Amino acid sequence: MESPSRRAAGSSEIKHRSPGGAVMYGRGLQALSIATVVAMAVSLSLVFFYAPLEAEQGFLQKIFYLHVPLAIIALCGFVLGGLLAIQHLRTRDPRWDMRSYVVIHMSLIFAVGTLITGSIWAKGSWGHWWVWSEPTLVSFLIIFLLYATYQPLRFAIEDPERQARYASVFAITAGAFVPLNYIAVNLSTAYLHPRVFTSTSNLPGSMALTLLVSTVAMALLFATLCKYELTAKHTRAQLRALRQRLAGDDLDTPVRSRSAAPSLSHVSATPARAAGRPAL
Amino acid sequence: MAGAVLAEVPALPLHTAGKYVAGAYIVLFVLVLIYVAIMAIRLSRIERDLGELLSELDERQEPTPR
Repeated sequence: MESPSRRAAGSSEIKHRSPGGAVMYGRGLQALSIATVVAMAVSLSLVFFYAPLEAEQGFLQKIFYLHVPLAIIALCGFVLGGLLAIQHLRTRDPRWDMRSYVVIHMSLIFAVGTLITGSIWAKGSWGHWWVWSEPTLVSFLIIFLLYATYQPLRFAIEDPERQARYASVFAITAGAFVPLNYIAVNLSTAYLHPRVFTSTSNLPGSMALTLLVSTVAMALLFATLCKYELTAKHTRAQLRALRQRLAGDDLDTPVRSRSAAPSLSHVSATPARAAGRPAL
Repeated sequence: MAGAVLAEVPALPLHTAGKYVAGAYIVLFVLVLIYVAIMAIRLSRIERDLGELLSELDERQEPTPR
């Protein structure tokens, strides 16, 4: 049971700072959302009214401006998740685990988008939904399946600290695998058969500009959705902490249902902890 | 107004590829829509929890009858 003085200190803390500490994930969300909407509108305008039709594929090639940015952002997100996990292992600060989790989660959604749009493009271009002999497709599927095990891995570990640690090790290892896989596929395809577009330097200027703007728009969408997710999780953690404090529970042993998502309540539950240690 | 704008923009050569391009862009739209729907459900849950906490506070602040 809390003492009256401690409770009073807690209530003043609620007034002057959030129970989750100084971190405010919602800050800048509005500006980021507006920038995303503007960038997406500009990107779509460029794709359909500025970029010329490709000689071989014609209108079908417009999928390129959606599929490639999705794939680039998804892969970069996986690598970023690994970098954030390194930061988590270095500092043991659960905020980094939370960020790594959200970035990987979002990258998985983008990867699903990549696979679906890629299949649609393959059907229109080659007449098949999936071509197993294409190393780029198969290697992306392998990366997707690798990361599909991330959430079950987290869910399988009940202890929050161990869950965060193991998940970070996984994120680092898998994050290192992503660029290695990309390099290996590029090296192998160079020996197997020549490619039309090995890099954006082969694209005409208008197409390269459209691809660049589309990639920036997709990156902004990724950042906005990650920020939404972080804000929502942070708000729920704050609510949980507030509920515990109002109920006068034993805050050192918070009740936590089993979840794949990182635990946040143990950080922001008590004023003493929130004051002495950054929340989230 | 919309008709005038549409008359000015260049015509898109949709023909056979149109359905594939439309399908790919609809996939992205649907994915974002599903995400927004999930976030809306979470937001309504947070709103409900906040309401419960507020009513709990109101109950505590009401003077107990003697």
